[in-house]
This record gives sequence, structure tokens and C-alpha cells, in this order.
Amino acid sequence: MAATVIGPGITIEGEVSSDDEVIIGGTLRGKLEAEGAVTIEGDAVVEADIGAQSVAIGGSVIGNVTAAERVDLLAGGKLIGDVKASRLTIADGAVFKGNVDMEV
Amino acid sequence: MAQATSIIAAGTVIRGRIRAEGDLEIHGHVEGSVSGAASVTIGAEGLVKSDVDAESVIVSGAVAGNLRGTERVLLEDGARVVGDVSAPSIGIRPGAKLRGRVATGAGSSAPEAPRKPAVAAKPAVQASTVKAAQGSTVKRPPAVAAPSPVPTKPSVAPVTRPAAAVAPRKVEPTVKRAPEPVVPVLQKRTKKAVKRRAR
Repeated sequence: MAATVIGPGITIEGEVSSDDEVIIGGTLRGKLEAEGAVTIEGDAVVEADIGAQSVAIGGSVIGNVTAAERVDLLAGGKLIGDVKASRLTIADGAVFKGNVDMEV
Repeated sequence: MAQATSIIAAGTVIRGRIRAEGDLEIHGHVEGSVSGAASVTIGAEGLVKSDVDAESVIVSGAVAGNLRGTERVLLEDGARVVGDVSAPSIGIRPGAKLRGRVATGAGSSAPEAPRKPAVAAKPAVQASTVKAAQGSTVKRPPAVAAPSPVPTKPSVAPVTRPAAAVAPRKVEPTVKRAPEPVVPVLQKRTKKAVKRRAR
């Protein structure tokens, strides 16, 4: 199994589901489901709800993020939407607007 | 940036439109459409249920959809393709399976035009007649607008529009005929109608 890479210059309008890792450097509008880790790279634009094992956001995400394990909002990352995960880190410099549910 | 390769791995399903710059490898499952890529490679495990447009398309997996390459399409050993294939240069290796039309050479850069009449003549004829009908309406828009009520009540038209009284008589038959192509009609007749109208 290899990672799915949606590179820069790729635009997907629709649903992406994967049983493994997904790395997005391009544009995705729709929905993203992955059983592995999801990485949103710096230049990526994601307008989708994301469900994954873990999510690392370095780019721009508009949508709700649900992770079984953790969500990392990296420096330079932008998230507008709700987060549901047992662990969440927000780096200095990240932009975030939304609710957090850490299942307390 | 544009040359980055994107990979849709096995186990990944994408439903929707994919527009790509650069190269794209598909080892997973894609339904929708794929367009714009410099090169699309569909791996042995790849399953694509969509049309694929790219500069070059290399298939080792399964495709249900039309493949259009602006440069080339190559069907490798193990490829299974159900759909039309068109490109200036097409390669089909031994072991590849294909069911569909193949259009190769210089004329295949615009594959849609020659393919459609062969598959279904009616839509093409309809399209041309529609254009002709549009052309006729463009040429004399006031005449077409005015006499539409005329066939039902011919006596009214001269009274309300004395200036246009002469014109509707000539226009009337063409107006009656104009709707015919829209409703499917015998092809020969519509072709004649088109010619007549062209003159």
C-alpha cells in the first residue's frame, strides 16, 4: 500500500476515500475519508469534510475535521471548521476558527 | 509545480471530477472524469470508470470510458478497455483487451465530430438543423416573431400589422417547417430543408 498523493496542480471535485495515507498538495472540494493519516500541505486548498485516523493541516481547510487519533494544525495552516479528535495541537501562527470536541 | 506527479494509490476511491496539471498515476478506483493531465498512467490494479483526457494515456489496468490523448494512447499488456480510443498515435500491445472504436492519425485530434455521426446519425442531423433553425431566426427575427400567431388566425395579422402583411405570406411556410427538425423527422427531408434554407 502506498500513499495517495494529490499533488499541486490537481483539482478534485468529489469524494475521495482511501484505506491508507492521503497527501494533498492540490485542491479538493467535496469529501475526504481516509483510514490512514491525512496531510494537507502548505499550498493545498481543501473545501471538504475530512475524516481520518490523523490529520495534519499545513494548508487551507474549510470543513469539519474528524480524526480517530489526532489533529495537528501546523504553523501556516488555516482551518475553518469544527474539530473532533481526542488530541489536538495548534501551532503558533496557525489560523483556526471553529469548535473543538475532544470527547472529554 | 505543474510537473509534480500525483498518485491515486490502490485502496483509494475517488468519485468526481479530477482536473490535473502534470502527471497522474491511478492505481486505485476513479469514477467521474479525468482531464487536463500531461500524462495519465493507469496501473495494473487501477480501475477507471470515466473518460480520460490527457496528452498521453498509458493503460495497464481497467478502463470503462473513452480515452483521448492529444499525443498518444498506449494500451499495455493486461489492459482492459471498454470505450473509444482516439489519439494521433495509438499503441496496443499484445495482451491488451479493447472493445470500442479506435481513431488514430491526424484527424483524431478532434475525435468527437467524426465519431458521433457514425454512432448515432440523428443527434448530428438534429444539431445541424437546430443550427439552421437558429440561423433562420437570426436572419429575420421580427418576421418569425410576428407570424407565429398568424397560422391560427390569418385574418388578424393584416389588420394589426398592415406593413408586415406581405412578409408573413412568404415566411409562413418556413415557419411551419421550422419546428419539424426539432421533432425527429426523416433525415433526407430535413437535409433538403437545410439546403433550401441555406439558399
